[in-house]
Amino acid sequence: MSRLLVASGLVLLMFSPVFAHFGTIVPSDDIITQDDGKLLHLEVKFIHPMEGQYMEMAKPKRFGVLHAGKKTDLLSELKAVKGKSPDQSQKYTFWTTEYKIRRPGDYTFFVEPTPYWEPAEDLFILHYTKVCVNALGLEAGWDEQLGLETEIVPLTRPYGLWTGNLFTGQVLLKGQPVPFAEVEIEYLNESVGNISVIHPPSDPYVTQVVKTDDRGIFSYAMPKAGWWGFSALSEADWTITHDKVEKKVEIGAVYWVRTRDMQ
Amino acid sequence: MKYGYRSTCLAFVLLLLFSGSALAHKVNLFAHVESGQVYTESYFPDGRPVTGGKVLVYDPAETLLLEGSTDKDGLFSFAIPGIVELKIVIEATMGHRNSFKLKKSELEEGQ
Repeated sequence: MSRLLVASGLVLLMFSPVFAHFGTIVPSDDIITQDDGKLLHLEVKFIHPMEGQYMEMAKPKRFGVLHAGKKTDLLSELKAVKGKSPDQSQKYTFWTTEYKIRRPGDYTFFVEPTPYWEPAEDLFILHYTKVCVNALGLEAGWDEQLGLETEIVPLTRPYGLWTGNLFTGQVLLKGQPVPFAEVEIEYLNESVGNISVIHPPSDPYVTQVVKTDDRGIFSYAMPKAGWWGFSALSEADWTITHDKVEKKVEIGAVYWVRTRDMQ
Repeated sequence: MKYGYRSTCLAFVLLLLFSGSALAHKVNLFAHVESGQVYTESYFPDGRPVTGGKVLVYDPAETLLLEGSTDKDGLFSFAIPGIVELKIVIEATMGHRNSFKLKKSELEEGQ
Protein backbone atom coordinates (compact mmCIF):
# COMPACT_ATOMS: atom_id res chain seq x y z
CA MET A 1 0.00 0.00 0.00
CA SER A 2 2.70 2.44 1.01
CA ARG A 3 4.65 1.46 -2.09
CA LEU A 4 1.64 2.26 -4.18
CA LEU A 5 1.37 5.66 -2.51
CA VAL A 6 5.04 6.42 -3.14
CA ALA A 7 4.71 5.29 -6.72
CA SER A 8 1.64 7.43 -7.35
CA GLY A 9 3.40 10.33 -5.65
CA LEU A 10 6.31 9.93 -8.00
CA VAL A 11 3.98 9.78 -10.98
CA LEU A 12 2.31 12.99 -9.84
CA LEU A 13 5.68 14.67 -9.40
CA MET A 14 6.73 13.61 -12.84
CA PHE A 15 3.57 14.81 -14.52
CA SER A 16 3.04 18.11 -12.76
CA PRO A 17 5.79 20.27 -14.18
CA VAL A 18 7.04 22.78 -11.64
CA PHE A 19 7.83 25.83 -13.71
CA ALA A 20 10.32 28.30 -12.41
CA HIS A 21 8.98 31.32 -10.60
CA PHE A 22 10.68 34.63 -11.36
CA GLY A 23 10.53 37.96 -9.63
CA THR A 24 10.42 40.45 -12.47
CA ILE A 25 11.12 44.14 -13.00
CA VAL A 26 10.75 45.18 -16.60
CA PRO A 27 11.24 48.84 -17.54
CA SER A 28 9.85 50.41 -20.73
CA ASP A 29 13.43 50.88 -21.95
CA ASP A 30 16.91 49.86 -20.84
CA ILE A 31 18.72 52.82 -22.41
CA ILE A 32 17.55 56.43 -22.23
CA THR A 33 19.14 58.76 -24.76
CA GLN A 34 18.62 62.49 -24.89
CA ASP A 35 16.06 62.05 -27.67
CA ASP A 36 13.94 59.63 -25.58
CA GLY A 37 11.13 60.56 -23.21
CA LYS A 38 12.55 60.67 -19.69
CA LEU A 39 9.56 58.97 -18.07
CA LEU A 40 10.22 55.27 -17.47
CA HIS A 41 7.33 52.90 -16.95
CA LEU A 42 8.21 49.92 -14.75
CA GLU A 43 6.28 46.69 -14.14
CA VAL A 44 7.01 44.56 -11.09
CA LYS A 45 5.59 41.03 -11.30
CA PHE A 46 5.86 37.49 -10.02
CA ILE A 47 5.48 35.23 -13.05
CA HIS A 48 6.55 32.22 -15.07
CA PRO A 49 8.31 34.23 -17.80
CA MET A 50 8.32 31.63 -20.57
CA GLU A 51 4.85 30.22 -19.84
CA GLY A 52 3.50 33.69 -19.19
CA GLN A 53 1.38 32.85 -16.13
CA TYR A 54 1.04 35.48 -13.46
CA MET A 55 0.99 34.82 -9.73
CA GLU A 56 -0.63 37.02 -7.15
CA MET A 57 1.95 39.50 -5.86
CA ALA A 58 1.46 41.18 -2.49
CA LYS A 59 2.83 44.70 -2.05
CA PRO A 60 6.63 44.39 -1.90
CA LYS A 61 8.52 45.08 1.30
CA ARG A 62 11.03 47.33 -0.48
CA PHE A 63 11.24 48.91 -3.91
CA GLY A 64 13.80 51.48 -4.87
CA VAL A 65 16.56 52.63 -7.15
CA LEU A 66 20.31 52.99 -6.81
CA HIS A 67 21.79 55.90 -8.74
CA ALA A 68 25.14 57.66 -8.31
CA GLY A 69 25.79 55.59 -5.18
CA LYS A 70 22.54 56.69 -3.51
CA LYS A 71 19.50 54.51 -2.81
CA THR A 72 16.05 56.09 -3.12
CA ASP A 73 12.96 54.44 -1.66
CA LEU A 74 10.14 54.29 -4.23
CA LEU A 75 7.80 51.86 -2.43
CA SER A 76 5.03 54.41 -1.99
CA GLU A 77 5.06 55.07 -5.77
CA LEU A 78 3.91 51.52 -6.63
CA LYS A 79 0.37 51.09 -7.90
CA ALA A 80 -1.47 47.75 -7.89
CA VAL A 81 -2.85 46.56 -11.23
CA LYS A 82 -4.21 43.25 -12.48
CA GLY A 83 -3.03 41.10 -15.35
CA LYS A 84 -2.97 37.56 -16.71
CA SER A 85 -1.57 35.43 -19.48
CA PRO A 86 -3.89 34.53 -22.40
CA ASP A 87 -4.45 31.04 -20.94
CA GLN A 88 -5.30 32.22 -17.42
CA SER A 89 -8.94 32.85 -16.58
CA GLN A 90 -8.31 34.87 -13.45
CA LYS A 91 -6.39 38.12 -13.16
CA TYR A 92 -3.57 38.57 -10.63
CA THR A 93 -2.05 41.58 -8.94
CA PHE A 94 1.20 43.08 -10.10
CA TRP A 95 2.74 46.52 -9.53
CA THR A 96 3.62 49.44 -11.75
CA THR A 97 5.20 52.82 -11.39
CA GLU A 98 6.58 55.67 -13.44
CA TYR A 99 9.96 57.14 -12.76
CA LYS A 100 11.42 60.32 -14.19
CA ILE A 101 15.07 60.14 -15.21
CA ARG A 102 16.68 63.44 -14.25
CA ARG A 103 20.42 62.81 -14.43
CA PRO A 104 22.94 60.82 -16.49
CA GLY A 105 24.18 57.47 -15.18
CA ASP A 106 23.01 53.96 -14.39
CA TYR A 107 19.79 53.40 -12.46
CA THR A 108 19.53 49.97 -10.78
CA PHE A 109 15.94 49.33 -9.73
CA PHE A 110 15.45 46.66 -7.07
CA VAL A 111 12.60 44.95 -5.30
CA GLU A 112 12.37 42.88 -2.14
CA PRO A 113 8.97 41.19 -2.37
CA THR A 114 6.81 39.94 0.46
CA PRO A 115 7.49 36.18 0.82
CA TYR A 116 5.12 34.14 -1.38
CA TRP A 117 3.70 30.91 0.03
CA GLU A 118 3.99 28.11 -2.53
CA PRO A 119 2.02 25.09 -1.29
CA ALA A 120 3.23 22.92 -4.19
CA GLU A 121 6.80 23.27 -2.97
CA ASP A 122 5.95 23.58 0.74
CA LEU A 123 8.07 26.69 1.09
CA PHE A 124 8.07 30.47 0.85
CA ILE A 125 9.66 32.18 -2.16
CA LEU A 126 11.39 35.53 -1.95
CA HIS A 127 13.11 36.87 -5.06
CA TYR A 128 15.35 39.91 -4.72
CA THR A 129 15.13 41.28 -8.23
CA LYS A 130 17.18 43.90 -10.06
CA VAL A 131 17.30 45.60 -13.45
CA CYS A 132 19.55 48.41 -14.72
CA VAL A 133 18.62 51.35 -16.96
CA ASN A 134 21.33 53.51 -18.49
CA ALA A 135 20.76 57.21 -19.04
CA LEU A 136 22.37 59.90 -21.15
CA GLY A 137 25.68 58.32 -22.06
CA LEU A 138 27.16 57.90 -18.59
CA GLU A 139 27.90 54.22 -18.06
CA ALA A 140 28.66 54.17 -14.37
CA GLY A 141 27.12 52.27 -11.49
CA TRP A 142 25.86 49.03 -13.08
CA ASP A 143 28.48 46.88 -11.35
CA GLU A 144 27.77 48.15 -7.83
CA GLN A 145 26.43 45.85 -5.12
CA LEU A 146 23.19 46.80 -3.45
CA GLY A 147 23.84 44.83 -0.27
CA LEU A 148 20.71 42.66 -0.57
CA GLU A 149 20.55 39.34 1.30
CA THR A 150 21.28 37.69 -2.04
CA GLU A 151 21.90 39.36 -5.40
CA ILE A 152 23.42 38.92 -8.83
CA VAL A 153 26.13 41.45 -9.58
CA PRO A 154 26.65 41.75 -13.34
CA LEU A 155 30.14 41.30 -14.76
CA THR A 156 28.81 42.05 -18.24
CA ARG A 157 27.55 45.61 -18.69
CA PRO A 158 23.81 44.83 -18.46
CA TYR A 159 22.52 47.04 -21.31
CA GLY A 160 23.30 47.55 -24.98
CA LEU A 161 23.43 43.76 -25.42
CA TRP A 162 23.03 42.09 -28.80
CA THR A 163 21.17 38.84 -29.31
CA GLY A 164 23.71 36.06 -28.83
CA ASN A 165 25.80 38.01 -26.32
CA LEU A 166 27.11 36.24 -23.27
CA PHE A 167 25.79 37.54 -19.96
CA THR A 168 28.12 36.92 -17.04
CA GLY A 169 27.29 37.61 -13.43
CA GLN A 170 28.35 36.75 -9.91
CA VAL A 171 25.93 35.34 -7.35
CA LEU A 172 26.32 36.74 -3.85
CA LEU A 173 24.71 35.58 -0.62
CA LYS A 174 25.25 37.99 2.28
CA GLY A 175 27.98 39.60 0.18
CA GLN A 176 29.90 36.36 -0.40
CA PRO A 177 30.16 34.48 -3.73
CA VAL A 178 28.02 31.32 -3.97
CA PRO A 179 30.04 28.50 -5.59
CA PHE A 180 28.28 25.88 -7.72
CA ALA A 181 24.85 27.48 -7.31
CA GLU A 182 22.13 26.71 -9.83
CA VAL A 183 21.09 29.64 -11.99
CA GLU A 184 17.76 29.35 -13.79
CA ILE A 185 17.29 31.37 -16.97
CA GLU A 186 14.06 32.15 -18.77
CA TYR A 187 13.02 34.22 -21.74
CA LEU A 188 10.16 36.65 -21.17
CA ASN A 189 7.66 35.61 -23.81
CA GLU A 190 5.65 38.80 -23.30
CA SER A 191 8.70 40.97 -24.17
CA VAL A 192 7.70 44.08 -26.05
CA GLY A 193 8.45 43.55 -29.74
CA ASN A 194 8.45 39.74 -29.50
CA ILE A 195 6.41 38.89 -32.56
CA SER A 196 6.99 35.13 -32.49
CA VAL A 197 5.96 33.66 -29.16
CA ILE A 198 8.21 30.76 -28.22
CA HIS A 199 6.61 27.34 -27.79
CA PRO A 200 9.17 25.15 -26.00
CA PRO A 201 9.23 21.64 -27.52
CA SER A 202 9.62 20.06 -24.08
CA ASP A 203 9.97 21.13 -20.46
CA PRO A 204 13.78 21.42 -20.25
CA TYR A 205 13.59 24.19 -22.87
CA VAL A 206 11.39 26.34 -20.63
CA THR A 207 14.03 27.01 -18.01
CA GLN A 208 17.71 26.92 -18.93
CA VAL A 209 20.03 25.91 -16.10
CA VAL A 210 23.69 26.77 -15.61
CA LYS A 211 25.82 26.51 -12.49
CA THR A 212 28.22 29.00 -11.02
CA ASP A 213 31.91 28.17 -10.79
CA ASP A 214 33.95 28.15 -7.60
CA ARG A 215 33.87 31.97 -7.52
CA GLY A 216 30.08 32.16 -7.92
CA ILE A 217 30.36 33.26 -11.55
CA PHE A 218 28.04 32.07 -14.33
CA SER A 219 27.55 32.86 -18.02
CA TYR A 220 24.79 32.32 -20.55
CA ALA A 221 24.48 33.34 -24.22
CA MET A 222 21.01 34.69 -25.02
CA PRO A 223 19.65 33.39 -28.33
CA LYS A 224 16.70 35.74 -28.93
CA ALA A 225 15.85 39.44 -28.73
CA GLY A 226 13.84 40.47 -25.68
CA TRP A 227 14.13 40.30 -21.91
CA TRP A 228 16.03 37.51 -20.15
CA GLY A 229 15.75 36.68 -16.45
CA PHE A 230 18.55 35.08 -14.43
CA SER A 231 17.62 33.57 -11.09
CA ALA A 232 20.04 32.05 -8.58
CA LEU A 233 18.31 30.24 -5.77
CA SER A 234 19.51 29.67 -2.22
CA GLU A 235 17.84 28.50 0.97
CA ALA A 236 17.55 31.18 3.65
CA ASP A 237 19.03 30.49 7.07
CA TRP A 238 15.73 31.65 8.55
CA THR A 239 12.19 30.27 8.36
CA ILE A 240 8.63 31.60 8.32
CA THR A 241 5.84 30.18 10.45
CA HIS A 242 2.93 28.95 8.35
CA ASP A 243 -0.04 27.30 10.09
CA LYS A 244 2.15 26.99 13.20
CA VAL A 245 4.84 25.10 11.28
CA GLU A 246 8.27 26.54 10.45
CA LYS A 247 8.67 26.59 6.67
CA LYS A 248 11.79 26.99 4.56
CA VAL A 249 12.33 30.13 2.52
CA GLU A 250 13.77 30.02 -1.01
CA ILE A 251 15.64 33.25 -1.60
CA GLY A 252 16.37 34.12 -5.19
CA ALA A 253 18.80 36.60 -6.68
CA VAL A 254 17.19 37.69 -9.95
CA TYR A 255 18.58 39.96 -12.67
CA TRP A 256 16.93 41.05 -15.93
CA VAL A 257 18.65 42.11 -19.14
CA ARG A 258 17.44 42.96 -22.61
CA THR A 259 18.92 41.90 -25.94
CA ARG A 260 18.29 43.27 -29.42
CA ASP A 261 18.92 41.77 -32.84
CA MET A 262 21.83 43.20 -34.81
CA GLN A 263 20.38 45.14 -37.71
CA MET B 1 57.31 52.66 -54.27
CA LYS B 2 57.26 49.68 -51.91
CA TYR B 3 58.02 52.02 -49.03
CA GLY B 4 55.15 54.29 -50.11
CA TYR B 5 52.72 51.37 -50.02
CA ARG B 6 53.83 50.41 -46.53
CA SER B 7 53.46 53.91 -45.17
CA THR B 8 49.98 54.14 -46.72
CA CYS B 9 49.10 50.90 -44.94
CA LEU B 10 50.51 52.21 -41.69
CA ALA B 11 48.58 55.45 -42.05
CA PHE B 12 45.40 53.46 -42.69
CA VAL B 13 45.97 51.29 -39.61
CA LEU B 14 46.63 54.39 -37.53
CA LEU B 15 43.46 55.97 -38.87
CA LEU B 16 41.49 52.85 -37.90
CA LEU B 17 43.04 52.86 -34.45
CA PHE B 18 42.17 56.49 -33.90
CA SER B 19 38.63 56.24 -35.19
CA GLY B 20 38.19 53.26 -32.84
CA SER B 21 39.38 55.24 -29.86
CA ALA B 22 37.09 58.09 -30.84
CA LEU B 23 34.14 55.75 -30.43
CA ALA B 24 35.38 54.29 -27.17
CA HIS B 25 35.86 57.79 -25.78
CA LYS B 26 32.58 59.29 -26.93
CA VAL B 27 31.94 62.57 -25.15
CA ASN B 28 28.60 63.55 -23.64
CA LEU B 29 27.10 66.73 -22.31
CA PHE B 30 24.22 66.99 -19.88
CA ALA B 31 22.58 70.29 -18.95
CA HIS B 32 20.02 71.34 -16.38
CA VAL B 33 18.63 74.68 -15.29
CA GLU B 34 18.43 76.04 -11.75
CA SER B 35 17.77 79.57 -10.48
CA GLY B 36 18.35 81.25 -13.82
CA GLN B 37 21.61 79.44 -14.47
CA VAL B 38 22.30 76.67 -17.00
CA TYR B 39 24.67 74.05 -15.59
CA THR B 40 26.48 71.76 -18.01
CA GLU B 41 28.58 68.69 -17.28
CA SER B 42 30.70 66.99 -19.91
CA TYR B 43 31.90 63.45 -19.40
CA PHE B 44 33.20 60.31 -21.04
CA PRO B 45 31.03 57.16 -20.74
CA ASP B 46 33.06 55.86 -17.78
CA GLY B 47 32.44 59.09 -15.86
CA ARG B 48 35.78 60.84 -16.38
CA PRO B 49 35.23 64.58 -16.89
CA VAL B 50 36.02 66.27 -20.19
CA THR B 51 38.48 68.94 -19.07
CA GLY B 52 39.19 72.01 -21.15
CA GLY B 53 36.48 71.11 -23.66
CA LYS B 54 34.90 73.87 -25.71
CA VAL B 55 31.19 74.49 -25.02
CA LEU B 56 29.18 76.29 -27.73
CA VAL B 57 25.61 77.44 -27.15
CA TYR B 58 23.29 77.97 -30.13
CA ASP B 59 19.71 79.18 -30.54
CA PRO B 60 17.26 77.41 -32.91
CA ALA B 61 18.50 79.58 -35.82
CA GLU B 62 22.01 78.15 -35.18
CA THR B 63 23.26 81.55 -34.02
CA LEU B 64 26.12 81.19 -31.58
CA LEU B 65 24.97 82.82 -28.33
CA LEU B 66 28.01 82.20 -26.18
CA GLU B 67 30.92 79.87 -25.65
CA GLY B 68 33.20 78.77 -22.87
CA SER B 69 35.33 75.89 -21.70
CA THR B 70 34.87 73.10 -19.18
CA ASP B 71 36.81 73.15 -15.90
CA LYS B 72 38.74 70.24 -14.36
CA ASP B 73 35.44 68.62 -13.31
CA GLY B 74 33.97 68.95 -16.81
CA LEU B 75 31.64 71.74 -15.68
CA PHE B 76 30.66 74.99 -17.35
CA SER B 77 27.70 77.17 -16.42
CA PHE B 78 26.13 80.33 -17.78
CA ALA B 79 23.12 82.56 -17.20
CA ILE B 80 20.01 81.71 -19.27
CA PRO B 81 20.66 83.62 -22.51
CA GLY B 82 16.97 83.67 -23.51
CA ILE B 83 13.87 81.50 -23.31
CA VAL B 84 14.45 79.52 -26.51
CA GLU B 85 15.45 75.92 -27.12
CA LEU B 86 19.22 75.75 -26.76
CA LYS B 87 21.61 73.47 -28.60
CA ILE B 88 24.66 73.04 -26.40
CA VAL B 89 27.68 71.54 -28.14
CA ILE B 90 30.70 70.03 -26.45
CA GLU B 91 33.90 69.88 -28.49
CA ALA B 92 36.79 67.98 -27.00
CA THR B 93 40.15 67.32 -28.62
CA MET B 94 40.57 65.07 -31.66
CA GLY B 95 37.17 65.82 -33.08
CA HIS B 96 35.15 64.41 -30.16
CA ARG B 97 31.88 66.25 -30.33
CA ASN B 98 28.34 65.86 -29.07
CA SER B 99 25.37 68.08 -28.42
CA PHE B 100 22.50 68.37 -25.97
CA LYS B 101 19.11 69.95 -26.59
CA LEU B 102 17.79 71.95 -23.67
CA LYS B 103 14.06 72.43 -24.11
CA LYS B 104 12.36 75.80 -23.84
CA SER B 105 10.08 74.34 -21.13
CA GLU B 106 13.08 73.39 -19.00
CA LEU B 107 14.42 76.94 -19.26
CA GLU B 108 11.01 78.34 -18.27
CA GLU B 109 10.83 76.04 -15.24
CA GLY B 110 14.35 76.91 -14.15
CA GLN B 111 14.16 80.69 -14.38
